[in-house]
Amino acid sequence: MNDRKRPDGRAQATNTWRVGVLALLFTGAFSILFFRLWFVQLAAGPEWLLEADQNIVSSEPIAAPRGDIVDRNGIVLATSVPGLVIEIDRSLLPVEVEDDVLQRLAAILDLSPVEVREAVERTRSGEVASLAEFEIDADTAYLIMEQRATLPGVTVRALPVRGYTEGSLMGHVLGHMGLPSPGDLERLPTSDTNTPIGKLGVEREYDEFLQGIPGKHVYRINPEGAILEEIGTVSPVTGATVRLTLDVEVQAEVERILVEAIALSNALKETQDEEDPDRTPPPTERATAVVMEVNTGAILAMASYPTFEPQAFVGGIDIDSFEELSERQAFNNLAIQGVKPPASTFKAITYVTAMEENIFPEGVSTPEETIECSPQLAHRFEDDSQHLWRNWTFPESDGPQNLHDALRRSCNIYFWEVALSIWRAFRGTDREGMVQEWARAVGVGRPTQIDLPFEHEGILGDRQLFEEWQERQPWRVRAEGWLGGDLMNLVVGQGPIVATPLQMAVAYASMLNGGTVYQPRVADAIDTAEGDRLRTLEPRVLRSVDISPETVASLRRDLTSVVRSGTARRAFEDLGGLVELVGGKTGTAQSFTDQQGVFHDSTAWFVGVAPIDAPRWVVAVMVDEGGSGGAVAAPAARAIFQYLLGTDVTPLVAGEDTER
Amino acid sequence: MAVLSRSLDGVGGIFEDRPKPTPDVIVFVLMASLMALGSVMVYSSTFVRLEEETGDPTSAMRRQMIFAGVALVTYVAASMIDYRLYRRFPAFIYGLMIIALVGVLFAAPQKGATRWIPVGAFQFQPSEFAKVALIVALASLLAMGAGKRLSWRSLGTALLMAAVPGFLIFLQPDLGTMLVVGFITVGMLFAAGSSFRQMLVLGASGVVGVIAVFQLDILKSYQTARLAGFFDQTADLQGVNWNLYQSQIAIGSGQLVGRGLLQGTQTRLSFIPSQTTDFIFTAVGEQFGFIGGSAVILAYAILIWRVLIVAAGAPNAFGSMIAVGMAALLSFHVFVNIGMTVGLVPVTGLPLPFMSAGGSAMIAMAGGLGIVNSVWRSRSPVSDRPEARDL
Repeated sequence: MNDRKRPDGRAQATNTWRVGVLALLFTGAFSILFFRLWFVQLAAGPEWLLEADQNIVSSEPIAAPRGDIVDRNGIVLATSVPGLVIEIDRSLLPVEVEDDVLQRLAAILDLSPVEVREAVERTRSGEVASLAEFEIDADTAYLIMEQRATLPGVTVRALPVRGYTEGSLMGHVLGHMGLPSPGDLERLPTSDTNTPIGKLGVEREYDEFLQGIPGKHVYRINPEGAILEEIGTVSPVTGATVRLTLDVEVQAEVERILVEAIALSNALKETQDEEDPDRTPPPTERATAVVMEVNTGAILAMASYPTFEPQAFVGGIDIDSFEELSERQAFNNLAIQGVKPPASTFKAITYVTAMEENIFPEGVSTPEETIECSPQLAHRFEDDSQHLWRNWTFPESDGPQNLHDALRRSCNIYFWEVALSIWRAFRGTDREGMVQEWARAVGVGRPTQIDLPFEHEGILGDRQLFEEWQERQPWRVRAEGWLGGDLMNLVVGQGPIVATPLQMAVAYASMLNGGTVYQPRVADAIDTAEGDRLRTLEPRVLRSVDISPETVASLRRDLTSVVRSGTARRAFEDLGGLVELVGGKTGTAQSFTDQQGVFHDSTAWFVGVAPIDAPRWVVAVMVDEGGSGGAVAAPAARAIFQYLLGTDVTPLVAGEDTER
Repeated sequence: MAVLSRSLDGVGGIFEDRPKPTPDVIVFVLMASLMALGSVMVYSSTFVRLEEETGDPTSAMRRQMIFAGVALVTYVAASMIDYRLYRRFPAFIYGLMIIALVGVLFAAPQKGATRWIPVGAFQFQPSEFAKVALIVALASLLAMGAGKRLSWRSLGTALLMAAVPGFLIFLQPDLGTMLVVGFITVGMLFAAGSSFRQMLVLGASGVVGVIAVFQLDILKSYQTARLAGFFDQTADLQGVNWNLYQSQIAIGSGQLVGRGLLQGTQTRLSFIPSQTTDFIFTAVGEQFGFIGGSAVILAYAILIWRVLIVAAGAPNAFGSMIAVGMAALLSFHVFVNIGMTVGLVPVTGLPLPFMSAGGSAMIAMAGGLGIVNSVWRSRSPVSDRPEARDL
């Protein structure tokens, strides 16, 4: 490509072809622009248009009122009340004027500046402190809004506030609210750290129904976030109403009786002259009782003491109260979390096993044949180890007893002999754990699946569990592993077994209703705020256990004799003629001194049903370290049955001190 | 290539045949139209905010129209002045440019850069004028060896002449304008007849320069962030890619016919920073859609085409070189500016000629086109008239 000459021979001013190359280059560049524009506007345009519409809209949430929790008769236990809440946004509050602002706010609220400061420190989450604990009226709110110029960062927001109408009543079942923890945020779909969620009880379990759907104000904004106009409002949807199976009146009575039972237990402790000061029992503080419908699994009352007021958590609980309540284990719902050896109440399960599996003490082949209920039992095991069991129930011989007598009199010797028969016949085979199989079938050693959080499933020992422990937690078990002595302990509800009162209630209900295991539940139905039924929680059968009608009838009969003439006779005297309708079993978990040298008194149990011929309610009472089952737990259960059967509830008096 | 050369010869032939030197009406009309559209676009992007803030929704548009008026007057004036006048004192023009570029470095920084010298109520941006001045100075140099191969010496001188203002602009810092200077220089050197070897050396030194810039960590962090953002356009939409993202939302939502004048939510609500300056094209894209956007691109294409025709048919190498330089300047600005709003090139602060809000670039470019028009007018109906002869 040489420079061209003009026709006239002069050198051309320009390299024309080079300009042509530049023209080509520019044409290419502009074509690219053109096609890119085509792509952005026409090919991808619709998507960008969608983004454009979302771009300019901002919304501010309107909190949804939380749904009510009502009892089975519709009595409101928890509701949402419209509240005015003072919020302090620290990012808008300059540090140097913070003291002044809080002082001014305190003056408006008629409080001391210290109180306000403490509230701010206590309730802040991130930059925003929400002072829900200060109830303010519209006038006060107006005052604050009027003085906004001198109160930077302070606003008043209309927020629905949780209100509990019955104080501490049913506290453990209702649960409480709180701001989500990091764990909650992982568990839940929400990422909102400023809106309280249900933390415990029904509030937690049914949170998704109760919380409702927040509404929003929708604004058109500019990129700096300034509001240009309001486009619309989406009203919040009030959360659904959860209707419980519990009955406020039954619950109130059960809670009252529980307090009385604790008082009775402490009165008994005072009258006991314990010679050994190391064995002086500490005062009784904890007790629980549960009333459940035998044929539906519906919980009618569930009380645990000590308790707490759910209202204390609204707007944030102060740390001192929280720690004091934690110290007393007030947040533990003992009915589902208090695991204790069920003691002699477990004998009903051993009883059913013996009847159904036809396994009786050596030399006995029917439930009617007797053995001597001697003061002690000596046994030489196959490994030549010699063991001697003292029958602490009866230091003197209690005479010849068959299976029925043994349950009525709670004779350990008889049940130990049953355990030995199992051991001799089935040691090391898959039938070795037949008692545990029966226990598990009726609901012990596994979750009851109640609709409340943090249920404890207890422990039900057997060879397999011991082997697992040896592998993972060797300090929990001896090197020899599972022995016949463990089984002997287990059949009388001691040793490698702990259960919750609810598990025992489920077990008794299942055995006495003929073998149907229901899922216990505290919620009956969920309705919309307008009252339309969203969901009915029908009784749910977890499984059916094959128990012969003869065994059921026999167990019913023998449990009746426990309250009529057995270990609970004295406790149930006040029931008069109605005692015919009741059957149950006492239990006393052995006292012990722990590794720190602290003495723990026996734990008192009673589990029973009424009416015995067509069971309707099962009642389980457990007084933690409260003494004898016959003396303390059985009278409390008697009072509850009095109430359930519609007769006058008489004061608790100590029953027979059994099985100590 | 031979075919193309011949066809451009034919274009040259048109020059020869025309009887009278007349101003190029097409260029004037296109330029004035783009200015008018720009003013309306400035209005559409500012009236909501201005109404709210000052109660005077038209103030930004009025200001822009004043600039447009001054720019058109500048164009006409430059058209009237014989361009050969500049050739008498290229050193003076070049010197004035260097002084202005040095001077601006002592002005108060704004938005992290020292690009502006306050003049009364206005901001004078020397680098915009420097581009035109450099074109004239380079044209003067390269015209000296016209008709012969470009000597290595001329090449070196030209590079040095470009490097000094380039470096001063880099100090402001204004990376975009620096790249314009480089592009103009390379374009003019190519048109001036640099050999294949010389172009190869230029290309190689360009590559070395880019590597050096990265190796020496010369780029500011926002510049590397923009570059990184360009290569991953879905990342950091709230940060470095906010402009790009919002700009594509605006343009994309215009689709075929646009949302209509003053109906664009993005532009109206000023979602896009630098909406009226570097991102003015988004206002066109959103309100007038693909039809409006491609019309604007077409207008620039015709404008540049006209300038290239002058370059091809200029009576002398000096005029031709000026036209080449102006064509390169306009093309680069248009391509990079529109390209960045549609995500084709990284975000760079280059104004869209005649449309972006601001006076300096508009007046300087109008002046540059005026000089090109002066070249057009000076062509002689009779090719061998003395004054038209290459001096």
